[in-house]
Amino acid sequence: MKRIEGPEKVTGRAHYACDVRLPGQLYARVLRSPLPHARITRIDAARAERLAGVHAVLSSANAPDISWYEESRLFDRTLRFIGDELAAVAGESEEIAEDALRLIEVDYEALPCAVGLEDGVRGKPQLQRRGDIDNGLREAEVVVDAVYTTQTALHNALEPHGCTAHWEDDSLVLHESTQGIFAVRDEVAEKLGMPKERVRVITQHMGGGFGAKQIAWKHSVIAALLAKRAGRPVQLMLEREAENLAVGNRNATRQRVRLGAKRDGTLCAIDVHILVQSGAYLVGGEDSDVIGAYQTLYRCPHLRAEQVGVRTNTGPAVAFRAPGHAEAIFALESAMDELSRALAMDPIELRLRNYATEDQTKGKPYTSVDSLRRCYGQVKAAFDWPERRMGQGSKKRGIGFAAHDWAGGGGWPPAEARVEVADGAARVVTATQDIGTGTGTALCQIAADELGLPAERVSIVLGDTREGLYSPTSAGSATLATLGPAVRMAAAKAKKSGRGKGSRVKNPKDKSIRTCGAQCVEVEVDTETGEVRVLRVAAAHDCGRVINPVLVESQVIGGITQGLGYALSEERMVDACGLVLNASLEEYKVQTAADGPQLVNATQSMPDWEANATGAKGIGEPPLIPTAAAVANAIFDAIGVRVRDLPCKRERLIG
Amino acid sequence: MRAFAYSRPASLDEALALLGASARPLAGGTDLLTLMKADLLAPERLVAIAPLLPSGIARDAEGVTIGAATTLADIERDPTLAQRFTALGQAAGVAATPQLRNMATLGGNLLQRPRCWYFRNRLAQCWLKGGTACHAREGENRQHALFGGSGCVAVHPSDLAPALLAFGASARVRGAHGERIVPLEEFFSLPTGERRSETRLRDGELVLQVSMPSYPEETRSLYLKEMDRRAFAFALASVAAVVRVSARQRIGHVRLVLGGVAPIPWRAHGAERVLLGEEADERLIEAAADAAAEGAVPLKGNAFKLPLLKALARRALRSLLL
Repeated sequence: MKRIEGPEKVTGRAHYACDVRLPGQLYARVLRSPLPHARITRIDAARAERLAGVHAVLSSANAPDISWYEESRLFDRTLRFIGDELAAVAGESEEIAEDALRLIEVDYEALPCAVGLEDGVRGKPQLQRRGDIDNGLREAEVVVDAVYTTQTALHNALEPHGCTAHWEDDSLVLHESTQGIFAVRDEVAEKLGMPKERVRVITQHMGGGFGAKQIAWKHSVIAALLAKRAGRPVQLMLEREAENLAVGNRNATRQRVRLGAKRDGTLCAIDVHILVQSGAYLVGGEDSDVIGAYQTLYRCPHLRAEQVGVRTNTGPAVAFRAPGHAEAIFALESAMDELSRALAMDPIELRLRNYATEDQTKGKPYTSVDSLRRCYGQVKAAFDWPERRMGQGSKKRGIGFAAHDWAGGGGWPPAEARVEVADGAARVVTATQDIGTGTGTALCQIAADELGLPAERVSIVLGDTREGLYSPTSAGSATLATLGPAVRMAAAKAKKSGRGKGSRVKNPKDKSIRTCGAQCVEVEVDTETGEVRVLRVAAAHDCGRVINPVLVESQVIGGITQGLGYALSEERMVDACGLVLNASLEEYKVQTAADGPQLVNATQSMPDWEANATGAKGIGEPPLIPTAAAVANAIFDAIGVRVRDLPCKRERLIG
Repeated sequence: MRAFAYSRPASLDEALALLGASARPLAGGTDLLTLMKADLLAPERLVAIAPLLPSGIARDAEGVTIGAATTLADIERDPTLAQRFTALGQAAGVAATPQLRNMATLGGNLLQRPRCWYFRNRLAQCWLKGGTACHAREGENRQHALFGGSGCVAVHPSDLAPALLAFGASARVRGAHGERIVPLEEFFSLPTGERRSETRLRDGELVLQVSMPSYPEETRSLYLKEMDRRAFAFALASVAAVVRVSARQRIGHVRLVLGGVAPIPWRAHGAERVLLGEEADERLIEAAADAAAEGAVPLKGNAFKLPLLKALARRALRSLLL
């Protein structure tokens, strides 16, 4: 079935946050810190306020004192990174607002700054232990001991963050580009000291979020305050530069990994110490559990996994498509590849001897005990592992393998949905939002299936908190597995009585739910130029029952493409003074269509009926996770150079 | 972007009378508007010149003349250029993106400013923008210059310029006081303390057209470019090569111009000297590639450009000569 929102999107009828036009609407811009760490000693916005066409100006001089980011404020007198918000203007056009920003006079007292991961202020360690790591390492007959680093990556969703805010008497309406309309509603209401019933958040469509839109950011409250002050609607969309400075990134990491194994490949020790760059603030939506994958992917009796957050004067980190996991799996699966080389064992064979069938953090078996092993097999067959073609001259070819698990994708309560049937047609009403994956289409299919109606007879209402049917933030690849069962329950009731409400029931008590998968990559490395071309990628992921193969494949293609960018070309560049050098789509190099490899999606439907009543699990994040490790492993296979630092830049491969 | 006045003069002379330091010519706008959006340029007036400038590709016995308003897409698709000035067509085809190539003009391509991330960042008052120090010299300089970086280590971003230089092209330039013909080798000039720009074009002057002399039919050429991804990126290094092998298997003519490694397109005179008058073989090409890298001053982050540049030179020469 095709996406139900497809025609709206391709004809331009789909309205995004920036398409909202209300009578008298103003446009806002934000003034941002030019220094990585400074105190404001004077701020004077009088000239900006007097500029013709300016209707409201906010700064620490006149804004309500609203707490934000731990001990900080909405407009703090201390600025902690280049891009930190310090004032905002609403005017009759974006240009007028920009002109006004230039008229705001600010004096600063510069403060010492720390920019790099190694230089920042370290926080309290998070430590997980299992067994006795010293014993484990003593028992080991082969040990891999290496340090891996991963870069700061920027989400760069096509649609930037932003909203249009307007007041209807004492109530606020926000047209927001967000993954969590209820999260934004609740947080904005709290910041403004309002009952949450008086805040309505609407997201009909969004142009990508990738985790960076799973919390309320300052711009929503700034827009609301400006609109209040001006008495007119205010649209505040972030420019690309601001998008890349201030509203989240994938945290850089440094990971020292020690893997100990017996000669037969059995793992007996995993010891990892990790630094994680949080940036200037903890925004509350990082979810960066880098030590997570080390604890779960492989069966291992002795483990010590430690993670330490590091604060720096750079933009704050936030969740980014499989936060923590993508970083961890690069290091863990590279180390596993190094172990397979040390043991002279096929990398897939090494995994077959070690993959976990129970959740070792909870002592519970997984609902889909066998799915990771099946993914190994599916991807191996689809790729024809370990077959490879020969390179020519300076162009060397190699193949690489990596696997992953992911704690998300299983969904959880609470979530509610309603289904109404009349005249042979049905309407699904939820208040989830479609992050762009086609959530609405899949939910219609579930309802149609239950009702015995053709899918085109089912429509959906979503993306408006006013519907009052609670739905969680679209995060953790969980939306379908969270909402799907509620929709199915509602549809089953509606089938009998024409109208039914469903809610998400609890997950099984005695089992743990995960998603997982594996990828194979073939690369060609030109040893004279250092260029890496990814020729082929094959992927097999466990997302339970496949509701819509086209939507699943879209996620696989998108995730791998983003994963290839993470592997090869994407890296936020910050100089020693905290200046972000590539906060643009020209210089921050996401992959283009021309870079795309031949891609084989070997994902098969593996209904997980123990997980929930639809048998489906999420696929949004997983396809990104193993790609970078598989690429680095393939590069080693091609030229014998082990890239332990992402991205795999050509300067490390040349010559 | 700041407010500006917009003029659509009826003639070139009228346009030239309007132009000056605060009134800039607008053709495709692919760089000018970017600079204005970033608040690096704030002209009071834009003067629409695209309809007034020569456009199109004309060939006669003297050579080929390309109007300054000709788009990169037109240059990329022109069959004459593809056949006789292959490197130029190739250079146009690997520049930017199809969307940009449909808008961007030849004149604007030659005059585009560097993409150095300090130059393009409003918060960095770098030497090229009139400041006292080049931030990239001690800062992040992976993309920067190996040659000619005495004042500024930004690299010239044009793909077309190295190819045009390799074909010995000249620009016809007109200002309020008349026209002059400037060989591109002189047109591009390292920025100086007094002139913080990559060309000798004066304020108020326009490039009207670019001409290349005709070459004997057996002349061959090639443009090779290395990027961080396979589209929509400026060159980490590029090579434009034009060669002719004489009847006695000697190299009768050679021009090798490097892109992405100097503040202006950089002619590899040393490599040309190694090749000229010799019979081509692997050893000669190796020696020429080494000579192309002579005089390079690598910075902290860009030493990889040396082997890269040699590899491109080797490949181009092998492909044309062996």
